[in-house]
Amino acid sequence: MSYTATYRLGTRLFWQDRAMLLASVVTPVGLSVGLPVLARHVTADGVAAATQLSQGMASILLSLTAFMNVAVALTTRRDQLVLKRLRATGLTDGQILSGQIASTATQTVILIVLCAVAVNLLADVPFPANPLVYAGAVVAGSVVLATLGVAYTAVIPRTELAAATTMPVFVVSAIAAGAMGPIREALPAWVGSVLDLLPTSAVVHALRTGEVALPALNLAVWAVVGVVAIRLWFRWEPRRS
Amino acid sequence: MTAIHVEEVRKRYGDFAAVNGISFEVAEGEIFALLGRNGAGKTTAIELLAGFQQPDGGTCRVLGLDPARDRAAVRRRTGIMLQEAGFFPDLTVAQTVDIWRDFTAAPRPRDEALELAGLVPKAGTRVRQLSGGERRRLDLALALLGRPDVLFLDEPTTGMDPEARRNTWDVIRDLARQGTTVLLTTHYLDEAQRLAASMAIMDRGEIVASGGIAETLAARSGRVAFRLPPGTAPDDLPLPVTLEGETAVCRAADPDLAAQTLLSWAAERGLRLAGLEVRTATLEDLFLDLSRSAR
Ligand SMILES: Nc1ncnc2c1ncn2[C@@H]1O[C@H](COP(=O)(O)OP(=O)(O)O)[C@@H](O)[C@H]1O
Ligand SMILES: [Mg+2]
Repeated sequence: MSYTATYRLGTRLFWQDRAMLLASVVTPVGLSVGLPVLARHVTADGVAAATQLSQGMASILLSLTAFMNVAVALTTRRDQLVLKRLRATGLTDGQILSGQIASTATQTVILIVLCAVAVNLLADVPFPANPLVYAGAVVAGSVVLATLGVAYTAVIPRTELAAATTMPVFVVSAIAAGAMGPIREALPAWVGSVLDLLPTSAVVHALRTGEVALPALNLAVWAVVGVVAIRLWFRWEPRRS
Repeated sequence: MTAIHVEEVRKRYGDFAAVNGISFEVAEGEIFALLGRNGAGKTTAIELLAGFQQPDGGTCRVLGLDPARDRAAVRRRTGIMLQEAGFFPDLTVAQTVDIWRDFTAAPRPRDEALELAGLVPKAGTRVRQLSGGERRRLDLALALLGRPDVLFLDEPTTGMDPEARRNTWDVIRDLARQGTTVLLTTHYLDEAQRLAASMAIMDRGEIVASGGIAETLAARSGRVAFRLPPGTAPDDLPLPVTLEGETAVCRAADPDLAAQTLLSWAAERGLRLAGLEVRTATLEDLFLDLSRSAR
């Protein structure tokens, strides 16, 4: 009894939901391993290209496994009145949501690390030079993206629209991290600067450069945005209309 | 000791007053029924008391605490069966209870909870395969997990078959005997009469009758109707009746018993009670009575 209970529940539901696993595990892991392996074997400067791509792929895992998964799962539970039932227990609102965020973030971290190992074995992508910065960026990024996913449910009108509503976030963060190929280069410079402000971009930047200060500041700001948005707008029940 | 105290509580949705200045008290260990038709404001009242909503005015106290401000404390000591709440459809009944035990301090053992709700044979069944009445019983099992001091039951027996209803009533009575305070809502008059020590009747957000008046009304709402045998006057009958045209109408708490009395009276005199109709009271009868007595 406490938030470890909601953590365990969130984890169990994450792995039990077969339909969601395709979108939040199979697809992002497939891309994060498949594309770097492809790049390793088809491009001239294979290892460098694979490394660059693999780092960018973190944004896909963050936006699908953390952000989209939690947004869709919580919208579904809100609309099925499961969140309302959870609130009828001795749990506080904070325990319900923080347990869920911690659970989603953990699954995301595990998958990102697994992908890093896979591309090391299959595409010779070197392990991060600074494991501490790498770990910090991945963990903080996963927590922030899961928090933002919880906040984002406020703009999702109902379950059927949940996946479609989160899709733009995924596409934009993938473009921003260069995970969608050269699309980013074709955009005006100011768009690029805006895209760099995304939390996924901050994580990818930290992974690529080992820089700490700016990405940390970026993620801190997004964390505050997420928490404030949850406090102001999070809905525990569907709208009656 | 007062377990639940409600004073002039109001709740509006936009311009619409769902609860419009209700007041009542429930003593510790008492079963109190909030009776009313759909849309009367019963669910809103319960959700205000359980801290799911904030009142726009008035005072709510549960075990001396303000459910809106001290929600965590109130929740720890209350159990609630919401009128409508979801389950995880792919979990079994036993898994659901286990997960909810995880959320509860000092929970009942799983088997005890299943036993109370009469769900032992369904322990291995997935929630999506349960009938409406069985889900309602699972609802009850979850509400009882924390051995609450105060139990809120929003239409607890809706969808249950008669046997499950009676079992549920027994469980509720037992809990009250052990000191649990129960506030239940219902639109079944017989449920309120059988269970509750006191009741209040709600209509359009207001309490239109409560305490003794409500009980008297409820007691009078069973109905035995028949055509008055030729040559008899209403005064000859062993029970008081009112005349509605040709038809004599006797109102009683137990209409079956009243019908028996009337029939044996008629048999002794070789009379027939033509068109005999016996009806247990419904809430609609009661509202008819209410509007009659208001006139
Ligand atoms: N969230 C809400 N928004 C708008 N109207 C509501 C809301 N909840 C309840 N109502 C309205 O308030 C009235 C009382 O509802 P409710 O408390 O559910 O009644 P009961 O439980 O007695 O059927 C109804 O007319 C209902 O439509
Ligand atoms: Mg209701």
